[in-house]
Amino acid sequence: MSLNSLERTIDKVLSQKESALISEIDSALQNSLKNLESSKSSLQVEYDNIIESSKKQAENLKRQIIGSSTLNARNKELVIIESAIDEIFIKAKEKLAKSNNEKNYEKLLTRLIQDSSTKLGSEIIIQCNKTDLNLVKKLVSQESSNRKSKITVSDEVVDIIGGIKAASVDGTMSLDNTLDSNIESLKPLIRKEIVQLLRGENK
Amino acid sequence: MVVDGVTKASFDELVEIETNDGERRLGKVLEVGSGKAVVQVFEGTTGLAITGTRVKFLGKTMAMPVSQELLGRVFDGLGRPNDGLPDPVADKFLDVNGEPMNPQSREYPTSFIQTGVSVIDGMLTLVRGQKLPIFSGSGMSHNILAAQIARQATVVGTNEDFAVVFAAIGVQYSEAQYFKRSLEESGALKRSVLFVNLADDPAIERIITPRVALTVAEYLAFDLGMHVLAILTDMTNYAEALREISAAREEVPGRKGYPGYLYTDLANNYERAGRIKGKNGSVTQMPILSMPADDITHPIPDLTGYITEGQVVLGRDLFRKGIYPPVNVMMSLSRLMKDGVGEGKTRSDHMEVGNQLYDAYSRAQEVRALAEIVGKAGLTGVDLKYLDAGDSFETHFLKQSPDENRNLDETLSRAWDILATLPEGELTKIKDKHIQQYYKGSK
Repeated sequence: MSLNSLERTIDKVLSQKESALISEIDSALQNSLKNLESSKSSLQVEYDNIIESSKKQAENLKRQIIGSSTLNARNKELVIIESAIDEIFIKAKEKLAKSNNEKNYEKLLTRLIQDSSTKLGSEIIIQCNKTDLNLVKKLVSQESSNRKSKITVSDEVVDIIGGIKAASVDGTMSLDNTLDSNIESLKPLIRKEIVQLLRGENK
Repeated sequence: MVVDGVTKASFDELVEIETNDGERRLGKVLEVGSGKAVVQVFEGTTGLAITGTRVKFLGKTMAMPVSQELLGRVFDGLGRPNDGLPDPVADKFLDVNGEPMNPQSREYPTSFIQTGVSVIDGMLTLVRGQKLPIFSGSGMSHNILAAQIARQATVVGTNEDFAVVFAAIGVQYSEAQYFKRSLEESGALKRSVLFVNLADDPAIERIITPRVALTVAEYLAFDLGMHVLAILTDMTNYAEALREISAAREEVPGRKGYPGYLYTDLANNYERAGRIKGKNGSVTQMPILSMPADDITHPIPDLTGYITEGQVVLGRDLFRKGIYPPVNVMMSLSRLMKDGVGEGKTRSDHMEVGNQLYDAYSRAQEVRALAEIVGKAGLTGVDLKYLDAGDSFETHFLKQSPDENRNLDETLSRAWDILATLPEGELTKIKDKHIQQYYKGSK
């Protein structure tokens, strides 16, 4: 084979190889562009998902922060109101403790003694505070003669703001007819009225 | 505790007991007669001396102070504050035993509640006023599911108020903390009322807890017009307490030692759900009970099933496969779903999609069993598609994260994704117009 024909053959092989390579590069380029294009849409979906989930998270966080702040504020209000209620009760009790000179108080004590006697029987022992002792003794002597019951007033005084504590002679039954216990049992209802006043809800 | 020399005590009357140390406890009268009263002490009788203990009959039954301020609060099993805050200021005091709802004034439940849990919203839809229990087993994820529903439940598309009353009955301290934290962290506590009765609290307290919770639920619903979801977990602990007290009273035991009136007692609680004509609110109940030894024929789930309107059953197999929530849909049913979904309520294709999913999953289960015998090679092309649909149902639809809140559109979209794995011709439960609109598979 002559040198010329060898060169021609080499050129031909080179040219064929070149065009094959170019075609391969072209097809690789096309594939890459296609992949890029398809990735774009999946990336967009991924991006949208991330944004969507972040929005959800942000919304949850916002709800959580607002929720707990509202609740904390409300709870603080409850504590403040409760301390105001406690103060009002302390002042009310102080006022009641000083009310034993009023005529209504004498009537109230008479009613409490009668109530105790009705509930516990004709023979009972009564206790009261130091301030009321003489008054109670006077009322009991009136009551004993009126109702033919045997009511004994104990000289052992108790630390209460007013009213009486009664017990049956054998000590098995007792009745707490003190102002303290009456206030305690009415406290839930009184609290409601105090709160309405504090919040300006009373018409 | 037996109190002698009693003449005027009444059944169920509240009793205050004062110990020698001046400690005060509450109790209620269980029996009266022959000058004696049997009193069950709520806080237990430990430390009560025979002499010196004083008993005060309060002349009233147990009442719960109720007001809107209860929302956002945590109480113990008897309704006493457990969050360090003062007693709630009562709008009124309601007897915890409630008043029976007049059957004539009951309104049929027809409105959807979204729980954000795909399997419940898509296939076992909860309807306002319904009582839909969750039957679980020991150690399964019912408490996580209960907390998730409490956090996520909502009424969609209305501005009506929604509240959750959550009663934890006989739960461990760690579980109680989990419920509380879960509601606090999600910001859902402000619309919730939480009652926590711990496992070490006396049995009698457990009897009161659901009653107190339902009293609050009824007040929020029928006095304040809110839509209330009452979640009671775990009613098995409640029934155990009932058995304990019944045994102490020497009553003749019924099945498995439970008292003969277990059905009546459960019904007294479960029937405190519903809607009332002319009133805005509703009480929807989700009692949760763990079936001893996963036995659905046990008296507690058995009797519960007679009273409630369907059930959501958690499956041990799914739980072992790590699927949450492990709802065994083949055993589960919401009897009121048909009335609470569809055009104008949720979406027109909702019921059909739910039915088709049931159908597909049921077929997938059959194919799975067949594949275990003949191998996958022996299955037809359609069978293989059902096999894929079954797997996809469990991983794409049923399975979801405990903090993942899916709206109904997302749930139905996932359902259509599963149905897309089946040939169009297999969708026999769905109308053509819905197939044309939503079917994503190759035609």
